[in-house]
Amino acid sequence: MIRQLLIQLAGTALLLGAAPLDALARIKLITLPVRERVEIQLDHPEITLVEEERIVPLVKGVNQVDFSWANTRIESETLVFRVLAPMAGKTLDAKVLAVSYPPNENALIWSVAASDSGAARVRISYVLGGLDKQFHYRAVADHAEQTLALSQYLRIRNDANEAYDETNLWAGFGERFVKPIGLNETKEVLMGKFQGVPIKKTYTANPGEFGYLDRAQDKLNVPMHYVLRNDVASGLGQASLPFGKARIFQDDGKGGTAFIGEDWGKFTPPDDELSLYLGLARDITVKRTIDRNERTRIAGNLYQYDVTIKYMIENFKDTPATLTLVESVGRLRAELGMPGSRDPQWALLTGTTLTGPDPDKSDFDKLSFHVELPAREASGKARMQVHTLHLSISNEW
Amino acid sequence: MDAKIIASLILAMLVLANPVHARNVDLSTVPARQTVQLTIYNSEDLTLVRETRVVTFKRGVNPLQFSWANTLIDPTSVELAFRASSDGLEVLDTTFPHDKPQMLYWNVHSDRDREATIEISYFTSGISWSADYVASADRDEKTLRLEGFVRVDNRSGEAYENAQVRLVVGTINLVEKIAQLAQLPVGRVDELQKGEFRTLRQQAAKSMLSRDAAAPPAALAEAAHPKEIYKEGLSEYFIYSIEGTETVPDGWSKRLRSFAADHVPVRIQYRYRVREYGDRLVRLYLLTNDTGAGLGTTPLPDGTVRVFRDNGRDGLSYLATQPIKYVPIGDKLELNLGTDPEVVFELVKLKTFRDNLWLRLSRGNLYRKVGDNTVQIDIDSQVAGWDEHQLFTQRIRNYSGKPIDVQVRRTYPGDVTFRSQLNPSLYDYQTVEFSTAVQAGEKVDLHHELIQRQEYNKKQERVVLENGHG
Repeated sequence: MIRQLLIQLAGTALLLGAAPLDALARIKLITLPVRERVEIQLDHPEITLVEEERIVPLVKGVNQVDFSWANTRIESETLVFRVLAPMAGKTLDAKVLAVSYPPNENALIWSVAASDSGAARVRISYVLGGLDKQFHYRAVADHAEQTLALSQYLRIRNDANEAYDETNLWAGFGERFVKPIGLNETKEVLMGKFQGVPIKKTYTANPGEFGYLDRAQDKLNVPMHYVLRNDVASGLGQASLPFGKARIFQDDGKGGTAFIGEDWGKFTPPDDELSLYLGLARDITVKRTIDRNERTRIAGNLYQYDVTIKYMIENFKDTPATLTLVESVGRLRAELGMPGSRDPQWALLTGTTLTGPDPDKSDFDKLSFHVELPAREASGKARMQVHTLHLSISNEW
Repeated sequence: MDAKIIASLILAMLVLANPVHARNVDLSTVPARQTVQLTIYNSEDLTLVRETRVVTFKRGVNPLQFSWANTLIDPTSVELAFRASSDGLEVLDTTFPHDKPQMLYWNVHSDRDREATIEISYFTSGISWSADYVASADRDEKTLRLEGFVRVDNRSGEAYENAQVRLVVGTINLVEKIAQLAQLPVGRVDELQKGEFRTLRQQAAKSMLSRDAAAPPAALAEAAHPKEIYKEGLSEYFIYSIEGTETVPDGWSKRLRSFAADHVPVRIQYRYRVREYGDRLVRLYLLTNDTGAGLGTTPLPDGTVRVFRDNGRDGLSYLATQPIKYVPIGDKLELNLGTDPEVVFELVKLKTFRDNLWLRLSRGNLYRKVGDNTVQIDIDSQVAGWDEHQLFTQRIRNYSGKPIDVQVRRTYPGDVTFRSQLNPSLYDYQTVEFSTAVQAGEKVDLHHELIQRQEYNKKQERVVLENGHG
C-alpha cells in the first residue's frame, strides 16, 4: 500500500457535539486532503522528524480530522497538529479542541473548531522510525598528495514503509534538497564538494596503538594517513564533519584515479583533524630497541627509573617525509615490568635527541615527536637516522 | 455493549420481603444515568465514579438491582445515597447473591410514593490519566511556547458518556492519607495487607474529595473553543476539572489541552554533571513555573515533555523528549536537550607528579659482606603516603554562533585540594562547581590542579578550594 498515511476529514453530517466517537454513523463521507508539502528534518543525530503540510477544508463549527498510519512506525505521542496562519485575505481561525485515540488502531482523530468555513493550512509533525541517514565521503588526492577534493554525501534509507513525493530534506547543515523518496528506496545526494583541501600525509610509529611489523626484529608498523583539518583555512570548518565511511582515491597523473583505500572518518568538529588511514608504509622502517633500563632505589620500595629508547629510522622513498613517533609512558612502564600502575611521572633527560614533544599532541602519558626524513640518496641508499628518547620515570613503587 | 452497568428497579408488584433471586420471571425497568462524574487519580489505578439516576419509589420496600458485568468495579466500594429531601428513604439491606457475581441488590424502604434522585458511587480501576507537554522554542531560543495536555485513557470495560471528569494531581498525598488512616509511617504503607490497603486507599480517596470541588460550567453541545481545564488547589493537591462533559468510550483515549503559555522566557545553560546527566556536557532550557513566565497557574504534573524549535521556515526541529517530575508553582523546569555537537567539551590531563612521600619503617636487616667487614644496615620501608598532583585543562570550544554559559560540576572523593583561578565553589563537601562564559567561536582552557592526598597522607574526606595557578 503506497499511501499508508491518510488524513480524512469527516463529513459535516457527522459533526455531532458530544456524541460518542464510536457511535458515529458507519456511512461516512470523507475528503482526503493531499500533502501539499513535506519536510523531512534529519538534523537530530538519532531522530527523524517529518512535517507534512496539507490544506484541510473545514466547515464552521467542530470538524473531525482523522489521521491514520497503518504499517508505519510513526511515534503517535510525537504527533503535533498546527494550524498555520490564515492564507492571505482569509480570517479563518481554527483550533484543535481534543485528540481521540481509538483502540487497537494506528490512528487518531483531531476535533478542530473553525470560526468559518474554508480551507486551513495545517502542519502535521511526527517522529518517524525506519527513515534514517548516513554520511559518506569520497576523497580524491592530487598526484602530489598535497590536496584533496572532498565530496560529502548524504544517504537516506527509507524503510519506513511510506513513500514521500517531492520532499524537502534538511540534514542540519549545508544545502537543502527537494527529492522524492520512494518505498524502500535509498537516496544519495551530494551535500558539499570541497576542492583543494590541504592534506598532510603522515607516517606514524606508535607501538601501543599500531604495534610491530616484526616483533623479533623490533620493527614497528608505520601506518600512513591523510590528515586534513576541518577549518576555514582548509575551505572547511563551517560545520562538524559527521561520522562516515571515506573512500580514498589518488590522481594517477594520467587523467584517471586509483582507489587507494577506505576508512571510517570519525565525527570531526571544526578545527579538529580528521585522519584517514591509508595502509602501512613499507618504504619507511623504524626499529625500536630499549637500550637502557636502570632503576635507582630512592628509599624503601620507592624507585626511579632511567630508560633510553633507541629508534633507527630509514626512508627508502624518493621523497622526503615526516615521521611521527609516539610513546605512551604508561605502556612503556608495563613493557619493562615496572610495578606501578599510577599515572606516570616522567621527565625528559639529556640523552634525548628528539625535538619536542609536540605540546598539541602530547599529554601526561603520551609523548609525540616529529622527525624529518630526507629522501633516499641519488645512489639509492637510504640514510639511517638514529634517535634516542631518554626518560626518567619517578616515584614508582 | 458499552453500558454494562445497569441499575434496575424491580417492579414493586414482584416484591416480597426477600424474594428477588427466587423468581424466575422478572420484570424490571432501567433508570438511565442522569449524570456521571469521574474523579481519576493518576498516581493510583483508581477512579471514583459518582452517578445519579432518577428512580420512582412506591411506598414500602423497593428492590434495586445493580450489576457491572465485565467491568473493573470494586464490589466492596459500591454505595447508594439519596440526593436531597431523602427523609423517609432508607436502605434496609444490601445483598450480594452467591450465584450472580458482579451484581447486588438493595432493598430501599420509602414512606410514600415518590420520585427520588439516587447517587451510586464506586471505585473502578482501568481509567487513568496522564499529562504531557509540548515546548516549542522560537528561532533564537529566547522564549518558548509551552502547552500542557491531559490524556484520559479508558480501559475500564465501561463507557462513561457525558461524564464530568476531574483529575487529581498529586502522588504522595494519597499515600500520606493512607498512612494517617492506618496510623503508620508513610514508609510502611507497603507493609499493609492487600485488602486493608485497598480499604484505606478508598477511604483516603474519598476523604480527599469530601467536599465537592467547584463544578465547571456544563456544556451540552461540544463548544467551538478548546475546553477550559479548571485548576483548583485543594489542601495538598490539585484538581483539574474539564469544562463540560466528556465521553471516552471503552478502549479509547482522549487528549485535551490543559494550558498554553506563549513567550515563556527561557535561559540556556550548558551543564556537566555526571550524576544527573552522565559523562557528557548537555544543553538545557531553564524556565520557571511562575506568573512572571506566563505560567504558574498550576503545578505541572509528572509527564513527558517533547521539545521542538522553530526552524525559521514554518517548521520544527526536534530537540528532545524528556520525562519530568511534578513541578510545583514557582519551581524551576529544566529541559535536557542532550549534547550539542556545536560545543566541544574535553578534559585533558596535562601532567602528573607525586610529592610529599612518606615511608613506613618496619624491621631492619643487617648485611655483612663475606671476606671483609663491610656492614650494611637496611631499614625495610614501604611508601605509605603521598600527594598526587594532576594538572588538567577543561577545554571548551563554542561553534554554536552564540555566547554560552557552561557550568561544570565534578566530584572528587578523598582528601583533595582543588587549585585554580576559576573562582570555583563547593556544591557539596566533595563536589566542585565552576562556571564560565564562552563567546561565539571562542576556545577556553580552564586550567586546574588536583592534589589528592593518598593513604597515610589522607586525613580528611573533603575538597579544599585553593586559589592559585593550576
